[in-house]
Amino acid sequence: MKAIKGKPFFAGIHVHDKKSLACRQKTEIMPSPEYVYISLSQSLGKPAVCIVEKGQKVKEGEMIAKADGAISSNVFASLSGVVIDVKQMVGANGNTETYIVIEGDGTEEKSYLPRLKDPSAEEIKDRIRDCGIVGLGGAGFPAAVKVAPRTPVDTLVLNGAECEPYLTCDHRLMLERDEEIARGARYIAKALGVEKIIIGIEANKPDCIARFEKYDDIQPVILKKQYPMGSEKHLIYVTTGRKVGIGKLPADSGVVVQNVATAFAVCEAVELGKPLYDRVLTVSGEGITHPKNLWVRVGTCVKDIVAYCGGEKLQPKKVIQGGPMTGLALSTYEVYTHKTTSGVLLLSEKEAAAEEPTPCLNCGMCADVCPMHLMPMQTAFYSAAGDFDTAAKLGNTLACIECGACEYTCPAKRPLIQAIRKTKSYMHKKVVRVSSPKPVDQKGRSAPTVPLTEDGKIAVKPVEEKLDESVKKSENELENTAVKEKTEAVKEEAKKEEK
Amino acid sequence: MDNSIVISTPPHVKSKRTTKNIMIDVLIALLPAAVMGIVYFRLNAFVIELTAVLAAVATEFVYFFIKNKGFSKQAGEVCKKWWKQFDYTSAVTGLILALILPSTVKWYEVLIGAIFSIALVKMVFGGTGKNLVNPAATGRIFMFLSFSLTAFTACAIKPISADSQLFTGATHLSGWLLETENPAGQMSWLDLFLGTGVAGSIGETCKAALLLGYIYLVVRKVIKWWQPLLFIVVACFLSVCFAAMGSKTFDIKLFLDYMLSGGLLFAAIFMATDYVTSPKGVYGQIVYYVALGVLTALLRYLTKIEVVSFVIMIMNLLVPLIDTYIVRKPFGYKKVKKQKEGK
Repeated sequence: MKAIKGKPFFAGIHVHDKKSLACRQKTEIMPSPEYVYISLSQSLGKPAVCIVEKGQKVKEGEMIAKADGAISSNVFASLSGVVIDVKQMVGANGNTETYIVIEGDGTEEKSYLPRLKDPSAEEIKDRIRDCGIVGLGGAGFPAAVKVAPRTPVDTLVLNGAECEPYLTCDHRLMLERDEEIARGARYIAKALGVEKIIIGIEANKPDCIARFEKYDDIQPVILKKQYPMGSEKHLIYVTTGRKVGIGKLPADSGVVVQNVATAFAVCEAVELGKPLYDRVLTVSGEGITHPKNLWVRVGTCVKDIVAYCGGEKLQPKKVIQGGPMTGLALSTYEVYTHKTTSGVLLLSEKEAAAEEPTPCLNCGMCADVCPMHLMPMQTAFYSAAGDFDTAAKLGNTLACIECGACEYTCPAKRPLIQAIRKTKSYMHKKVVRVSSPKPVDQKGRSAPTVPLTEDGKIAVKPVEEKLDESVKKSENELENTAVKEKTEAVKEEAKKEEK
Repeated sequence: MDNSIVISTPPHVKSKRTTKNIMIDVLIALLPAAVMGIVYFRLNAFVIELTAVLAAVATEFVYFFIKNKGFSKQAGEVCKKWWKQFDYTSAVTGLILALILPSTVKWYEVLIGAIFSIALVKMVFGGTGKNLVNPAATGRIFMFLSFSLTAFTACAIKPISADSQLFTGATHLSGWLLETENPAGQMSWLDLFLGTGVAGSIGETCKAALLLGYIYLVVRKVIKWWQPLLFIVVACFLSVCFAAMGSKTFDIKLFLDYMLSGGLLFAAIFMATDYVTSPKGVYGQIVYYVALGVLTALLRYLTKIEVVSFVIMIMNLLVPLIDTYIVRKPFGYKKVKKQKEGK
């Protein structure tokens, strides 16, 4: 279908995208690494449960960890070899995650699921769940949950915006594997029972738009080159004209959004039976010798990826996993890719912003560019003073999508996203505190409230402290009584002597 | 990978714009007005501009020096620290203050005014970004109230009797507001626009220079194009309406007269748009500029003097209120409809 222009939307920023560094590099398959460290936390929600043992031989594509609950995803071996360790390590984001370490044996034995021919909607849904497919755009929401919405939907929107600067992996994938993406989109549409498929592509990728004009059942929509056009809510507004309410899911507006890379993974899962254990990621930035788009197995060490791309060209100022607007800054190369890792960027000193913040000018530029029409400066101001309630109220912080447009544009270089995250975490904790039911004892009387942790579990530490305190107290009392007794005894003796 | 690597929250790329280069942009935009002031008012204007800028910057430096205990520690380090955080805001304040003063002001009066503006209006509130009211506008009001007998007659009420032949008449606006002369007969619009033969403040006479500054600021995206326009259009239109109330004839030609006389253009372009003391949200800004226009027209009509700096100061004080209550609803916000109880 002929491409149409999206609805205008006036907010957001125009970033110098630097996509030219890597957008002409064809995707390459990175040779198998010697080891892979596969995290069990590959998606939003609960981490998967390990089902292999140390010393067990696994094949490529074999399930090594099973999803735990609805919002969780299966994890697969990305290398054929031997499980040499299952251990806890601190990941790039600072959380402790369980990793399964597999040493490759050089063979490329594969263990795939059977191929499906003319699958039914149920079969596709099962396959998406079994293959552990998650949203590959960055958030990593399990795709199986998305294809089973609670409310009726009528449109599938494919996200090919790739509005993050530097990243070109979706661009290359759309150019090279457009047929698979189209087929994958049809499978997802069939699973959802919808007819209408829209693909949103930013205007800086005219070659991709032309590629998708040849399909009769897919409507390409040209998005303005503007960050954050790939944000789910804004993509839906621009392509369909519907607004997703705050705190609502896209499915509530009758739309399901999937990334193009997810559609590709669904196509492979259905047609080849291949579980999700590799993906395309972009290696870019001024600091890398050869910017590339690579097929990388999940769990590959970032060090190996950098070495394969020719190493550092110049001393990087920042190393980022993911995109520059929302990704994680790394402190070491000893971290391992996840299903959701869309890039590894080595930014030079010129590119990376590492300036000291100066006083806020109240210029309001952050409010002008905020795609959610919020007031980030209010949040920053009040949270700095520790008044998180006012910060959340005046800044409408809980509606924030953390796109980073405000901080990008801030002339005073204020750490706005940091303030927003701090406020959000405080408010979420507060919600837990308020909403959790009061504990009741066996007779139905309300028991004394116990402080709760973030997860809603009873905090252990304060209880221990309390115990310690009570022990100390009793000890003190004992000592006191002992002293008293002694003094009394002494007095009595003195009295006796007087007599 | 060594220790020079930086770790921070996203975003990892940021725009090139900083406070410093915004302020340099404002200085560049003020340059035509400053130069034209020197052309029209000669040495007087130059002395005033120089004194104001130097006094403003020096005051900020001294304040910083004392606050950071520059006398006890090594003074050199404190100076370096000051230069690192110096963002030209005080220079902008000083220059704006100079440009809204009449050329008859003595240099020591300017000195006192500049020190007041920076020390008492800006620095004691916490420096850049923390002041409640516009330092330049407040400094001018301070000088107007303190030295009104000597100097401010020029832009206030009475015709001045200065030695220079250039401004033997009343300022156009003040004479006109007092209805002592017929404006349309006295000055042509071209004269008003270029500032030739017009009495007034140093930077406010040449409107052509101000227009250049406005265009520069808009092109550099320091201010939004509609902000000064909203202020000017509302103020002038209401002034025309008030004039019509008096004379019973609605003369739209007066619109240009109102626009081109007095300090309205300068204040609208450079003072009302001050980031620190104007609202942050778009809706708040609209309310702010419309209110500025309404107040200017009303007070000009009632008091017959040039009131723009007073109006700006009054509205500055209302900004925190505007920011709290006039806020844009988040994207995708839906009004919660109250369910009507069925009878």
